[in-house]
Amino acid sequence: MEKFDIVVIGAGPGGYPAAIHAAQLGKKVAIVEKEIFGGTCLNWGCIPTKALIASAEKFEEINNAAEYGIKVDKVSFNYSNVVSRKDAIVSKLNSGVGSLLKGNGVTSYAGTASLESRNVVKIAGKDNLKIEADKIILATGSESFIPGFIPKSPSIIESRAFLAMTKLPKSLIVLGGGVIGCELACMAAMFGVEVTVVEMLEDILIILDKDVRKAIRSNMEKMGITILTGEAMGDISATTKTVKGKVGDVEVKAEKMLVSIGRRPYTAGLELENAGVELDERGYVVVNDLCRTKAANIYCIGDANGGPQLAHAATAQALRVVDNLCNKERKAMEMLIPACIFTAPEVGVVGLTEQDAKEQGIDIKVGKYNFAGLGKALAAGATDGFVKWISDPKTDQLLGAVAVGAHATDLIAEAAVAIRNELTVDEIGNTVHAHPTFAESWMEAAHSVHNLCVHSVVRRRK
Amino acid sequence: MAQIVLMPKLGQTVEESTIVKWHKATGDTVKKGDVLFEIETDKAVLECESFYDGTLLKILVAEEETVPVQSVVAYIGEPGEEVPDAASAPVAKPVKAVAAPAPAKAEPVKAAPEKVFATVATPAPAVQASVAVAAPSAPTKLFISPRAKALVKNKVVNAENIAGSGPNGRIVEKDVLAYLEQTGYNNLRIAPAAKRLAAASNIDILEVKGTGDSGRIMVRDVETTIAEQPKIMSKMRQIIASRLAQSFGQIPHFYVTTSIDMTDLLSYRKELKAKDVNLSVTTFILEAVVMSLEEFPIVNSSTDGVAVTWHSDVDLGIAVSLEKGLVVPVVKGAQTLTMEELQNQMKALSEKARTGRLMPDEMSGSTFTVSNMGMFDVESFSAIINPGEGGILAVSSTLEQAVVVDGKIKIRSMMKVTLSADHRTVDGTKGAEFVKALKSKLEDIDLWKSLI
Repeated sequence: MEKFDIVVIGAGPGGYPAAIHAAQLGKKVAIVEKEIFGGTCLNWGCIPTKALIASAEKFEEINNAAEYGIKVDKVSFNYSNVVSRKDAIVSKLNSGVGSLLKGNGVTSYAGTASLESRNVVKIAGKDNLKIEADKIILATGSESFIPGFIPKSPSIIESRAFLAMTKLPKSLIVLGGGVIGCELACMAAMFGVEVTVVEMLEDILIILDKDVRKAIRSNMEKMGITILTGEAMGDISATTKTVKGKVGDVEVKAEKMLVSIGRRPYTAGLELENAGVELDERGYVVVNDLCRTKAANIYCIGDANGGPQLAHAATAQALRVVDNLCNKERKAMEMLIPACIFTAPEVGVVGLTEQDAKEQGIDIKVGKYNFAGLGKALAAGATDGFVKWISDPKTDQLLGAVAVGAHATDLIAEAAVAIRNELTVDEIGNTVHAHPTFAESWMEAAHSVHNLCVHSVVRRRK
Repeated sequence: MAQIVLMPKLGQTVEESTIVKWHKATGDTVKKGDVLFEIETDKAVLECESFYDGTLLKILVAEEETVPVQSVVAYIGEPGEEVPDAASAPVAKPVKAVAAPAPAKAEPVKAAPEKVFATVATPAPAVQASVAVAAPSAPTKLFISPRAKALVKNKVVNAENIAGSGPNGRIVEKDVLAYLEQTGYNNLRIAPAAKRLAAASNIDILEVKGTGDSGRIMVRDVETTIAEQPKIMSKMRQIIASRLAQSFGQIPHFYVTTSIDMTDLLSYRKELKAKDVNLSVTTFILEAVVMSLEEFPIVNSSTDGVAVTWHSDVDLGIAVSLEKGLVVPVVKGAQTLTMEELQNQMKALSEKARTGRLMPDEMSGSTFTVSNMGMFDVESFSAIINPGEGGILAVSSTLEQAVVVDGKIKIRSMMKVTLSADHRTVDGTKGAEFVKALKSKLEDIDLWKSLI
């Protein structure tokens, strides 16, 4: 039985960086993957959805070309070409991950892993063998699923099957107004699909502040998406051609239904009990603040440990866990995790939100700046949106930020740097931001925390 | 005409009280029975209710301020009504208390406990003073140039630590720069928000240990340093501290431990329970203590080192642990009570203690104390004598143990008790006899059958 210093199970955005980083630090590393390198993010998540959204946005942009003085006749699209473009991007990236692993000296095994003991990993599939591990890193991720109360039908699909479709339906119900649901709803709507989003909670994207939600919701509704919130969908029935159900008194009906009401951790078949790894009542692997499971030599990173289900959170945990293992340190995980949502308009958010502060009884001061006041936004024809700082009134510390509108998902990076390094409102305000750019809005918003924003009319203080 | 709210007089022994919290603000509507404020005496925290309907017009005694009992603390009346200011307010007139949780029983308090209280009360201000000196922000006269002062403020360091090279030891800019270099300040990495927080909280940056990337000082590090600053303890804690120190320093403690076989008593208690007689194990222990004290009055006595005072009553203190510290309500004349009465009084007093409604008189004058930690799974512990008493009994958990009975190993429910006795009056053999008497009582079921 071959012996490795570290065996990583799962080659997604948590697993493959863990394996490569450990190999770069001189460890003998193996990685086990049952499907394709890159995991959900690369194959059925972040990347393919962004490829489809890019096509949809391009289509939308061309349709609106007249606004910019450009005449375009007869615009049309071929969705199967859109899908093959997406597939090409995905395959390019996952072969890239394969060569990164190989190039860095990581041994890859194709098959499903299970734990025979704390130190022995059994692999079944294309490769069939047992390997010995000093340390094991579980990075098995999560999967989208359709809960039992929803009837089984080819018309009812989850996100992975949705991305594989080569033809768009005429109409679509999106059950679950979270991040995945709203992103795909916007994408489909841009391609002319008649979309209805059903969300049981009082609003879509409930983790965001009300003003941000309002900006997204009103634009989605302007795009023709019907949004039903505050009530669950009942009486769901489906044939091969249609899906229907009731939301309160409203009957909803469409050709297909996308179910996006959450993901569940992937731990089935891993036989974690053989190693003494415990799961919590929701099925997530129980870990401490260093991502260590109840078994001392086994770690769990990414979606499966119940933390934020974001690729970059998994990657950050991967690097920290490997650093701690290789350098015999006990550094805590990074807690400040930005989140990006690729709806229309897009959103970037990091740190404390206004509603968090209210719930936790934290005193805050807010500064906001609308894109409508930016020369660049006007020039680019993208004046919808704003950025917002959340700060501590006592020390001026920046505690949270959100951007909604054009480039919001890129803009949030500056806020993350500022918040992690505990900068103050003044320091962002004093940092010269190039003109004309969208990023200037951070500086203006910092000025408006103290009601000293030059480019807005400030209500006089009493 | 506005009504006067006085600092209530809570029993015979309390001379001053501190308002720890106002539940109403100036201008608030107040109803009779509403809690107006909370006070902390040297024995407990109590809620004080209003005797009047009206509007709280003026607060004269702020939170954390201590005033003699019967002082005017506030006025209640009609909105807009004129009230006298603090200076002209009548102080310490013997009027009836207009705010009090319950009428204090005007019972003459015995001389001994009063004396005890007097000796206890004095050290409290001394404790406060020493803490105040230790606090880093205590302003002292400092000779410093304006430029140096501005630099010190900007760097968030404590100027008192800097040696001045100017005339009369005046600190000049050069000294500050040298200090920053010599202390390694210039190599520190400090997050801007952390620096602001330190400045706002009067924390010297040099006291903070950085835990961020490459040892950068982060907000959490400053928060840790803030949490480490000495804080004045509550008055209750200060009293506990000074009483314990006084007791442990002055009273030579002597300890005797014994194991008591509770197996038979526990099964007898079950039998009683089946007959709807509900007596707790604690009640049996307390009753056995009372009987043993009557047999050994020296354990129920007190001494100042010169005279010894025997007490004919067993005024039994029962230690009750609260979030803020320990209180010891007293069952007076415990030897005159039936077991049921003893249990009821103990329950009522503990309940009052937990809800913060114990009156000072209900917490003073005990002659012996029982501290029961049976519910905390402790095998054995010893307690510190309450000043003014001859001893204290520490009662540990009843645990199943392998015990030799008639030459055979049996599983029995065993409970350890430890008597701490004042060795100046209680000889070792007396202490041993006392715990033996206690043990034989608790193990004698026929005795209990004759009592219940």
